[in-house]
Amino acid sequence: MNYVIIGLAVYVLFMAVLAYLGYKKTRNTADYLLAGKQMHPVVMAMSYGATFISTSAIVGFGGAAGQFGMGLVWLTVLNIFVGIFVAFVVFGKKTREIGHRLGTNTMPEFFARRFNCKFIQGYSGILIFLFMPIYASAVLKGIVDYVAKYIGVDFTVVLFVISALAAVFVVAGGLKGIMYADAFQGALMFTGMAFLIIYTYDLLGGVKAANAALSQLPSMPGVAEQTEGLVKGGFAGWTSMPKPGSPVWWNIVTTLVAGVGIGALAQPQLSVKFMTVKSGRELNRAVLSGGIFIVFMTGVAFTVGALSNVAFYNSTGQIALKAAGSNDGIIPAYIKSFLPEWFGGIFLIVLLAAAITTLNALVHAMGTALGRDFLKQSLHMKGKTISLTRVSMLIGLLISVILAWLSSKLDISMAIIAIGTSLFYGLCASTFLPSYIAALYVRNFPKTAAVVSMIAGSAVSLFWIFFVQEKTAGSLQICRLLFNTTSIVKGTVLNTLSMVDAIVIGLPMSVIAGLIAWAVVGNKNEVETAVPVTED
Amino acid sequence: MLGITDASILLAYVLSVGSALLCIVYGIVNWNKGENNDKGGGNK
Repeated sequence: MNYVIIGLAVYVLFMAVLAYLGYKKTRNTADYLLAGKQMHPVVMAMSYGATFISTSAIVGFGGAAGQFGMGLVWLTVLNIFVGIFVAFVVFGKKTREIGHRLGTNTMPEFFARRFNCKFIQGYSGILIFLFMPIYASAVLKGIVDYVAKYIGVDFTVVLFVISALAAVFVVAGGLKGIMYADAFQGALMFTGMAFLIIYTYDLLGGVKAANAALSQLPSMPGVAEQTEGLVKGGFAGWTSMPKPGSPVWWNIVTTLVAGVGIGALAQPQLSVKFMTVKSGRELNRAVLSGGIFIVFMTGVAFTVGALSNVAFYNSTGQIALKAAGSNDGIIPAYIKSFLPEWFGGIFLIVLLAAAITTLNALVHAMGTALGRDFLKQSLHMKGKTISLTRVSMLIGLLISVILAWLSSKLDISMAIIAIGTSLFYGLCASTFLPSYIAALYVRNFPKTAAVVSMIAGSAVSLFWIFFVQEKTAGSLQICRLLFNTTSIVKGTVLNTLSMVDAIVIGLPMSVIAGLIAWAVVGNKNEVETAVPVTED
Repeated sequence: MLGITDASILLAYVLSVGSALLCIVYGIVNWNKGENNDKGGGNK
C-alpha cells in the first residue's frame, strides 16, 4: 500500500507541474487546440503512442488475449504497420501539410475546409461527440477496474476520483499541456511494460519454456472442462489461431484485430496530432520512436495476457478467465497475484498514465467536436471557442463517466472494454476513412461524394452495431426493446452475420456509396478553399 | 520455434518485430528529410 501512495504522490506532483507549464504557455486558440504547431518529434511520437495505447489496450485487449490467446498479436502487427507506419508516412505528412495550408485545428474542420462544406464539420463533430464517450468509458473502466481491484475500494468511488483527475488536467492545459504530460507518461509506460515482459518470462522459466507450457496447457488435467464453452466457439488453444469461420475467429479477426487495427487511421484524437508539428521531418523522426513504443505496449500486453494462463494454472489449477472471474479482470489479477508488491504500485501508475493520456485526448476531441465544430462553426453560437470547448469537454467527460458506471453492470464474461473500443474505432473507419483518403490524395473528389460516403458509412455501421452484431446489439439493449432479441438475424439463415463486426460491412458501403456519388456528380468544379470561419 | 508451433502465431510475432524494424529504419533513413518549415495559417 505504501508503494501505491508514494507512486501516486509523485505522479500527481509531476502532472500538476506539467499541466501548469502547459497552462502558462497556452496563449491562443491554436496553442490550445494544436499545441502551437511546434512540437518536438519525440514529444509528438510519445504523445501519439501514449494516446493510441490506453488501459483499453493493456487491460481490455490484454484480458482478451488471456481468454483467446496469442492470435491477438495480429493486432500488434496492425498497430505498428498500419497504426504507426502507414498512419505517419501515408496519412500524417499529407494531413499536416493540407491541415496547415487550410489553417485547420480539428479533424471535422479539416474535412470541412478540404471539401469546402460546412455540413461535414457539423455532422462529423456531432457524430464524434455522441459516440466517442463509448470509447472513453472503456478506457475509464480499464483503469477503474484495476485500481478498485488493487486497493480494494468500490468501483464507483475510484471512478469519481480518476474522472476528477482527468478533468483537472485536460480542461486546464489544452493540447500543449497534454502533449508534454503525454511524453512523460509515455516514458513511464514504456519502462513499466518492459519490466512486465521480462519478469513474466523469468517467472515462467524463460521464453521457450513459458511458450511451450502455454501450448501444452489445453491438454493439462482439468483444463478441458474449463475451456469447454470456448472450444465450442472455435477456440483451439492459446498459441493457435481459432477455427476459421467460428464465432471466436470472427470476434478476433473482424472485431478485435480489423476494427482497431484499421480504425486507428481515422481517429480524430490521433489525426489531430499530425498537425502539431512544423514539418514532415518531425513525422519521419516520430515514426522511429512510435514503432518501438507500440511493440512494447500491445505486444507485451497480449503476450503477458496469454501467458498469465500458465501462471494461474500452476498456482491454482484454473485458467486465467476462471481465476480472475472476468475477461477485464485478468491483467489486474495477474499483476496482483504474481508480481512483486512494489511493481503493483508502479504498474498502477503506468495504467493511470495510459488512461489519463488517452482520456485527455478523447475529452479534448469531444470538446472541440461539440464546442468548436458543431456549436461554434456550424450553429454559430456566441461565445469564445475556448470557453465553449471547455464546457463541452466537461459534458463529454460526464457522459463517459455515466457510461463507464453503466458498463460495470453488464455481463462480466464479455470483453466489455475491448468491444467498446472496437465499436468506436470501426465506426470512425467506416465514416471517415474513404473521405479522409480522398481528401489527402484525390484532388477532384467532390464534396457530395464525401458527404454521401460519410452518411452511408455511419448509418450502415450504426444499424449493424445496434441491430445486427450480437455482442454490441445485445449490450446496447435497443434491439432487445424493439424486437425482443439480441440480433435481428439471430436464428435465421443469416445467423453468421450476427458475429461479423460492423467495419466489415460499413467500410465497404462507405467506399461504394462515395464512388457511386462521385460517378453521378462527376469531378468537383469548385476549388479547394477555406470556408468562412467564425473567429473568436 | 520458441515453444510456439502454430505458424500463423509465429508469423504475427515476426511481422510485429519486422514492422517495428521498418519504423526504425525509415526514421533513420529519413531523419533529415521533409523539412519545409511552413508556418500554417491557423486561427490565431
